[in-house]
Amino acid sequence: MNIITTSESSFGHLIEEGRVHRTLYTDTDIFRLEMSRVFGGTWTYLAHASELPKPNDFVRKKLGLRPVIITRDREGKFHGLLNRCTHRGATICRQDEGNARRFTCPYHNWSFTNTGELAAVPLEEGYGPSFKKEELGLGKLRVESYRGFIFGTLNKELPDLKTHLGPSAELLDEWLDRWPGAELQLRRGQTRFTCAGNWKLIYDNAADGYHPGYSHASLLRMRKDRYGGGVDMQWALGNVDEGLQTVSDCGNGGTFIDQRAEIIRYWDQSAPMPGEGPYERIISEKMGDKADAALDVVMGSGMNINIFPNLLIIGNQIQVIEPQSVNKTNINWYATALVADDLPDEVNSLRMRLQEDFPSFGEPDDLANFEECQAGLEIEEVEWIQTGRHMDTGKEYIGAKGMLSGPVSDELPLRVFWKEWQKRIEQGNTGGTK
Amino acid sequence: MSINTNLIKDGFTLEDILRDTLESNYIDDSYYAKLRNDMDEWEGKGTVLNEEERQAYESLIIHENWLLDRRAFEQWYQLYSRECVYWVPAVGELPDAERADPQRQVTIAFDDRRRMGDRIVWLRTGVAYSQLPPSYTSHVSASFVRLPTEKEGEIKIRSQFIVQEMRGGHAIQTFSGWMGHVFVEEGGVIKIDRKVVCLLDAPRNHHNLTFLL
Repeated sequence: MNIITTSESSFGHLIEEGRVHRTLYTDTDIFRLEMSRVFGGTWTYLAHASELPKPNDFVRKKLGLRPVIITRDREGKFHGLLNRCTHRGATICRQDEGNARRFTCPYHNWSFTNTGELAAVPLEEGYGPSFKKEELGLGKLRVESYRGFIFGTLNKELPDLKTHLGPSAELLDEWLDRWPGAELQLRRGQTRFTCAGNWKLIYDNAADGYHPGYSHASLLRMRKDRYGGGVDMQWALGNVDEGLQTVSDCGNGGTFIDQRAEIIRYWDQSAPMPGEGPYERIISEKMGDKADAALDVVMGSGMNINIFPNLLIIGNQIQVIEPQSVNKTNINWYATALVADDLPDEVNSLRMRLQEDFPSFGEPDDLANFEECQAGLEIEEVEWIQTGRHMDTGKEYIGAKGMLSGPVSDELPLRVFWKEWQKRIEQGNTGGTK
Repeated sequence: MSINTNLIKDGFTLEDILRDTLESNYIDDSYYAKLRNDMDEWEGKGTVLNEEERQAYESLIIHENWLLDRRAFEQWYQLYSRECVYWVPAVGELPDAERADPQRQVTIAFDDRRRMGDRIVWLRTGVAYSQLPPSYTSHVSASFVRLPTEKEGEIKIRSQFIVQEMRGGHAIQTFSGWMGHVFVEEGGVIKIDRKVVCLLDAPRNHHNLTFLL
């Protein structure tokens, strides 16, 4: 069969019931369309408010392949600006983070406010009456935030962010409110991976409850051989569908794995971390009868909240998918700290160490498998990828928050992803800049 | 026992490591303070090693490199003290005590003796797919200098390094930067108490850093 990948308007022939075509992961024309229409055509995660805490702070990020600047103006409002001088095209911001009221292009010193207006042009008398300064501001994204998570889009037709997030907003609340009143802060240190695989392999995996017992055999075996049973990710062993984990469809491509029912006592079931003994003692002394609760928020939440197309909240970490090319993806794991007057900072001394555990002993094995997926998918003769697990076993049901749910190895999340992907790529990014 | 044992004479075996240090009892505020103080001291002006220092410390770093290149992780583990740290910061522009502060930042690796053991056991499971096939490395160290330190009984040696890594099916990767080794004497033997590996590209995205630097 000769598959035509880019008729530009229709992709239905590549996405069938229970299977999708390999070219969705290997075709550079499809990748180019995704970067235009998926990243930017829906609410796309950009940054976290704690990365730019003060007025006039900014961070440099990507929206798909577009360089963008996220700013906080002097009133505290967030803006998303395309990092491209409207004069000749140079990027105007060349730092990852900082504080600036204006951005001045180093090439000819055109200067823009941090809300995107063109403020000053050197030797302005060289331009005649046709020069419209007010029309030469930076390209602007539509930007909204939900509880510190800043999203942007070029799509003017989308509903507001909270409506769009639907049940994912409630799940974020549950994830954030494990220690009521605590502020979540991202830290400078990050675990940054790169993978020679298509970006969707990473999203596919984030709600894949089928793989841990196999892809993470090294982690599980090391733990068992050194510590015996009982610690960390034991729910991945055996027939996971007989366990208590579930997967759910959060709408608009969002998916959710809930492991919480498997966790009886977070602290007791945690992975080991350096400093465990001394800090457990200090937290216990400081917190008295609230010590158990404080120790529990050291550990990951037992929730994987995946927000289409690029934000994966897993454990205590915020993972952001940054596609580089059709077969290369950066994955940035932002560590998080919890800050509250009634929570000792020793909790964060442990959280930093625990957030190194899975990036050391878990994620690298997944990334190695994703790269081998990419290599295998280059084979033309075997065309399809299976997405049909539990599609027709009668195990799916309407669960919490009205979400379609299933046993944890259900490939429902893949089917949810592709439905949203098809919708976004067939619609264009509808709008362009504000 | 599901581990592929690899007995190495005159060194710790994997069996030894499996039973060694199953608790984490020495990483605390004072240990982190010591690491921040180290960062300050690494900034200092070093002096090239005299013959005696070369024999004691440079030769030990060269031996460490050799053991890592030979994938003799059990013997490598034996070079370290009982309260050791192997630390690879994830931020750049080091030394800088505040930027690097491991108490406030995640790192590429922050292994106390227990996690170091975990890492070796993990590497030896035979099912760590990121190390199947395994990485082979070539460590080159140079520019050894001794740094003054206010800590009695400790010796600080800073060096520059280049590590090349080769893994089946993948291009050779090159890493460079500087390392700091803090040596102490334990039971009459010189041991590595703390090692920090400051990669030139620490804050960038990395493709598979599951081998030891």
